[in-house]
Amino acid sequence: MATYLVSVLNGLAMGSLLFAIALGLSLVFGMMDVLNLAHGAVYLVGAYVAVALVADGAGVAAFVLAVLAAAVAGAVLGGLLAALTRATAHHLDQALLTLGVALVVGEVLTLAFGTDVHSIAAPEPVGGGVTVLGETYPVYRLLVIGFGIVLAVAVYFLVERSPLGSLIRATVADRAMVAALGVNTGRVLVGVFAAGAALAAVGGVLAGPILGAQPGLDEKVLLLALVVVVIGGLGSVRGALLGAVLIGQVQALGTALLPQYASFLVFAAMALVLLLRPTGLLPARTAVHA
Amino acid sequence: MGVVSVFSLSRTIAGLALGALVLSGCGSSLGESDTAEPGGGRSGGDVKIGLLVPLSGVYAPVGEDMKAGFELYLDQHDGKLGGHDVDLVTADEGEGPQTGVPAAQKLVTQDQVTAVAGVVNSATALGLRDFFHESKKPLLIANAGADAITGARKSDYVWRTSFSNGGVSGALGPAVAEEAKGSVYLMAADYAAGKEMVAGFRKSFEAAGGKVAGEKYTPFGKTQDFQPYLSAIRKSGADAVFAFYAGAEAVNFVKQYKQFGLADKTPLYGTGFLTEGGVLAAQGKAAAGVKTSLHYSTELKSARNKEFVDAYRQKSGKPPTAYAVQAYDAAAVLDKALAKASGDSGEDLVKALGGVGSIDSPRGAWKFDADHNPQQQFYLREVRADEGPAVNAVVRELD
Repeated sequence: MATYLVSVLNGLAMGSLLFAIALGLSLVFGMMDVLNLAHGAVYLVGAYVAVALVADGAGVAAFVLAVLAAAVAGAVLGGLLAALTRATAHHLDQALLTLGVALVVGEVLTLAFGTDVHSIAAPEPVGGGVTVLGETYPVYRLLVIGFGIVLAVAVYFLVERSPLGSLIRATVADRAMVAALGVNTGRVLVGVFAAGAALAAVGGVLAGPILGAQPGLDEKVLLLALVVVVIGGLGSVRGALLGAVLIGQVQALGTALLPQYASFLVFAAMALVLLLRPTGLLPARTAVHA
Repeated sequence: MGVVSVFSLSRTIAGLALGALVLSGCGSSLGESDTAEPGGGRSGGDVKIGLLVPLSGVYAPVGEDMKAGFELYLDQHDGKLGGHDVDLVTADEGEGPQTGVPAAQKLVTQDQVTAVAGVVNSATALGLRDFFHESKKPLLIANAGADAITGARKSDYVWRTSFSNGGVSGALGPAVAEEAKGSVYLMAADYAAGKEMVAGFRKSFEAAGGKVAGEKYTPFGKTQDFQPYLSAIRKSGADAVFAFYAGAEAVNFVKQYKQFGLADKTPLYGTGFLTEGGVLAAQGKAAAGVKTSLHYSTELKSARNKEFVDAYRQKSGKPPTAYAVQAYDAAAVLDKALAKASGDSGEDLVKALGGVGSIDSPRGAWKFDADHNPQQQFYLREVRADEGPAVNAVVRELD
């Protein structure tokens, strides 16, 4: 039993990371109908920022610096992507454009950092393990769970309770109407795009000590984030949270209980949700159409 | 206006990318034009050798090491093999047969190479077997480990300078049976190589009286988080673990094995790929104490190896790997065979390959067995990371 509880804990850690990564993807899709296939590349940029700054086990200060640097890099990339996609009219063109950007970014990262697998050490004070239910568990993963909870609460207040949040939700629901009210929706879109990309890059740093950094990791993360978004519902913050926690658990607990089906449990979960709730578990509230 | 400039920027980037693509495509054809000149006046004449290694995809780090190893041998021998000036044509093997097989066929049919060396992926190696067998061109496998390459599907034209999966893991079995106090848990990535590694280990391990606590295969290339499997190991009550992973999975597995506290209580054994080259650099201290079997270590004390390690470091700025040695030896084998061959047809070269005898390699002397697989010494290695970067110290020779 204790074994499974540790798996639950582990699923929460993965869920926290997935939430940080998938949130931006979900909001951008919900708002602009842009499927940002470069989201995984932004994540990988964050991971390599961590490789450059804290690869060999730095202190807390250097780790925080890496998080901030990744956030800035992510925001710049996100802003750029927002501008690029807004200049492109059709969905397919946008998807191809972001895919192209993802390929270019991935190749540039490979040129800069080589094809080797890099690992990133957790900051020194939290590099060890604690005993949880009789098993050793890495302290760093507990901190990641803490980060996930703080992020979820912060995003909840920002999106559900603040004026800025209502603007964001309104833009998701009906962009034309918000524009008609005299709001520059373009700025909202770029802001959300940049913030979402910054979160993905920060996710890259935070996931570093767990997943490392290597060419190709961007695609794996993008795929998981897409599954989270599909399960949670497009453009919905709560949906992204629920989807991330769910996928985290399916991965961890599912692998512990049904190891022989481990590789496709995640997609089975997605297929099930699509069958029962095609719009996702918690789709964005479309108040205007209701 | 801003929109327009950004848009043109994106076109510029696309243009650059396209340009880069065209340029990289030219790389190999530029090499060809060198040989267009008549070979008259040269004593041995030119020989064209194809090097087929992955330069893109997940195996790219292995491919880079192999390329550096092969080129080092050429550098040390004035660019000659068997007295012939070598025109080396490199092709990208990619990740699997869908890219590797056409690349090899291009080397043989279009570039008209005399022999091909390289090949990391076993599926690619097996997929190429019939092509080389029928076109009567020698193929020197410098990595791919599938047992069948020099077993059930062996060919007169396919030779291997690396290892067979079952051979590497089989060498470790008796040692673990002797050292482990109780039962051993077996774990590997769920694909052909993983199965062969475990099967080879299990056979010699059980023959030596070892007991297996459990066996688990994890989805290949899809497993990033090993925690559920690590918990299963703990629950099984195993006293030691044998594992086969390579690349990113090896890094994650070994690090998490340490993070989840197993490394302190349950010794980890594996085949050398678990802690080889860039993988070991990424694992760092987390790998300390992991014991593996392999046919090479940078820490081998022979003068031949020291000289090789120094030369390799000077060339590529990092320590060599078993992958580099395998390709280096492929060049050495070709050197001997080309010197002996009576003509330049595939048949002549293959006949000469049968008579190359002992190869003086950094890993220690070895020779081909009847199935064209290396007959070589395996070593028990232990990762030491007390001072400086982690290394695979040699504990003893395995019999």
